[in-house]
Amino acid sequence: MIKSIKIGALAIAGAIALAACGGGSSNSALVVGTDLPLQGASADASTATNNAIALYLEKQGGKAGKYTVTIKQYDDSTAAKGAWDDAQCAKNAQDHVANAAEVAVMGTYNSGCAKIEVPVLNQDPTGPMLMVSHANTNPGLTVSWDPGEPEKYYPGGTRNYARVVPNDIYQGTADAQYTFQEAKKTKCAVLNDNQTYGQGIAKSFADEFAKQGGTVVVNEAWDAKQTSYTALFQKIKAAGADCVFFGGIYDNNGGTLVKDAVAVLGDNASFFKMAPDGFSGYPDLQGMPQAEGLHLSFAGKSLDGMVKGGGAAGQFVADYKTKYGVDPASSYSIYGASAMQVILKAIAASDGTRKGVTAALLGGSSPVCLTDAESITGVGFCIDPKTGDVDKKSVTIQTMTGGKETDLKVWDVQ
Amino acid sequence: MAEETKAAAPAHTSSSNTKWAIGFITVVLAIYAINKFYLPTAPVQVKTFFNSWFSLTSMGEIMIYILMALGLNIVVGYAGLLDLGYVAFWALGGYVAGWLMSGHFDQWTVNFFGNPPAGLPNGIHLNFLLVLVLGGVFTAIWGVIIGAPTLRLKSDYLALVTLGFGEIIPQVMVNGEDIGGFNLTNGTKGINPVDNIKLFGYEFGPFALADKFLIYAALAGLMIILSLRLRDGRLGRAWLAIREDELAASMMGVPLMRTKLASYAVGATAGGVGGVAFATLIGGVYAERFNFQVSIIILSMVVLGGMGNVWGVLVGATLLAWVNNTGLVQFGNIINSATGKNIDFPSFNFLIFGVLLILMMLFRREGFLPEARVRLIMHEEEFSEVAVVTDDIEVEGVHHHEHN
Repeated sequence: MIKSIKIGALAIAGAIALAACGGGSSNSALVVGTDLPLQGASADASTATNNAIALYLEKQGGKAGKYTVTIKQYDDSTAAKGAWDDAQCAKNAQDHVANAAEVAVMGTYNSGCAKIEVPVLNQDPTGPMLMVSHANTNPGLTVSWDPGEPEKYYPGGTRNYARVVPNDIYQGTADAQYTFQEAKKTKCAVLNDNQTYGQGIAKSFADEFAKQGGTVVVNEAWDAKQTSYTALFQKIKAAGADCVFFGGIYDNNGGTLVKDAVAVLGDNASFFKMAPDGFSGYPDLQGMPQAEGLHLSFAGKSLDGMVKGGGAAGQFVADYKTKYGVDPASSYSIYGASAMQVILKAIAASDGTRKGVTAALLGGSSPVCLTDAESITGVGFCIDPKTGDVDKKSVTIQTMTGGKETDLKVWDVQ
Repeated sequence: MAEETKAAAPAHTSSSNTKWAIGFITVVLAIYAINKFYLPTAPVQVKTFFNSWFSLTSMGEIMIYILMALGLNIVVGYAGLLDLGYVAFWALGGYVAGWLMSGHFDQWTVNFFGNPPAGLPNGIHLNFLLVLVLGGVFTAIWGVIIGAPTLRLKSDYLALVTLGFGEIIPQVMVNGEDIGGFNLTNGTKGINPVDNIKLFGYEFGPFALADKFLIYAALAGLMIILSLRLRDGRLGRAWLAIREDELAASMMGVPLMRTKLASYAVGATAGGVGGVAFATLIGGVYAERFNFQVSIIILSMVVLGGMGNVWGVLVGATLLAWVNNTGLVQFGNIINSATGKNIDFPSFNFLIFGVLLILMMLFRREGFLPEARVRLIMHEEEFSEVAVVTDDIEVEGVHHHEHN
């Protein structure tokens, strides 16, 4: 009995191994990898992103110019960590390069993971291989930020990384400008969650707020493992702050943070509180009574804006709902399709090799652009061929009303 | 009975050691040869098969896990000191690589046979071999610093304190971005990229995985030899004596503190070297990796494989590391595509580990490949229960007497 099971398992293993490798060598059939954390806290957002990308590709008939394109999904998280994992990212980078038919990667979700993968893809002997992210907002990947950045991610000397969302410099700056100019607040407490994203966005908020003429009265980190932040907010209250900025992601105990802030400082109508897009797209937060009136910002266009704006974006969101039965988890999933759009455009303009695809987007003199009508998000943009950043630097300011993220204003960074 | 085993054991172990060593070397060389010479020209199907079931990144990771599990085996298996915070040494080793092989300290420019990336000379760039040694020495020192106050405790208390250190050191790394204005660890952003290994004029870039695998296998091999030689030596026998009966060992003249500290230092060194190797494997150091679960997984490798037996630990480490990074996902894919379901197998990781551990404790407490001595101890049930009862009575009596 046991023996027959063993033989059966072997046979299945063999069959799978064979079945797993259709296509490949033909030059016109190309693969684009998606590299997302499919397990843990970001799993829902990642699944929605993969769905949106599949839907977009389906709408294009699986074609980019004369090339047939299919998708291969990679998971950069592990169950043990419940989040992206450094070793898994390193392994994925190797796998992207090893898969001969793969010409570009859509991802990653986390900037830290991109910082591992980009240098490896950059040194690909048949490349460099292109990566376009829909969600990495850490500035250092494309522009000068920490020492050695961004050059240290491109050891081959040429760029191979682009993104379709503005980096944190713009979002933090826009949030600070809005807080000072529109909300007329002058004394802000700036908190961060001690992680790459949180520190970056808090820094750019604090810098810009001071530049605008405001005062940063408290600037410190919140510890995600703490069970209560009452003391922290007492301190902020004592410092005479009239606004507070949560630079970080909701996963880092954001729920307790918001609740304690409301308990100590008062509700969001009486005391101005703002959080960046690390807090958007969380049903837990949306359903929380204390979140009512909380200001949020989103780098780029929000889901709400896309639906209300109608056009191609509104249609795409509607199609998504028809096909999968639910709304996309966050606008990042639509930005995933937007990144795919850029990749497909680069593939169509290339000779079908990795090097060609990268060169079609980066390093040249004329940028690849999508018009308002073309762009899946409803907002046209160009990718700067030198840095890989987008030229559209508008940030959507939102507020939580009735458990929904509602747009207040689209803020263009000054 | 005891006499017999003692006399028979050395002859038996040395011949089986040779067999195991040949087996290990053969497997390593086979993996190297397949990846280096066969796979580049192999049909796509074969390539895909190897890449998904036995990818070189995971093979390299397995070698590093073997190295670290053997290090922990010195502490837990040989000296019998339960250590729940082994990940601290991995972290320290990893950061040594981050500090000495990257552009992290960009305020200094040091290059000692190192390999700074083109155009970015800033930072400290030392040679990989030197960093291995420094990483080992640095963690050994920390092993002694942590061990000196800790090892005065016994059993549960010792385990708790090691657990504490295992939590403290990674937290220091997470928060070490601004120590009085000095950026020691770069916080959760981690240190990356770590330089490519360069030895004797050859650079092992991100795609020289087969060669890098060989380097990691050599490190694991070195640790195997070290473990085997130490065990038979004076120090090793002292460790075993402490493991089996601390009081008796000290009565026989074994200096308890010094011997325990030595086991801590050797174990820590292996963790540090493993940390350096791992940093070069993935090309960076990230504070979030160093969590409690890693300590537990390495401990499980030692316990499942067979505490105290080098080859048992090797099997345990290989098996668990492979299941963790490849096996579970791949078997899950097979089962899912055969049954048409969509079960997330990797998320049952700890359930499977837990059940496996419980089953092992019920039916094979000594591990897959136990050390002969451990097996003897574990299978003394018939006597031991009686012995324990009488022990208790005696102890009670003594205490009673003392109190009076």
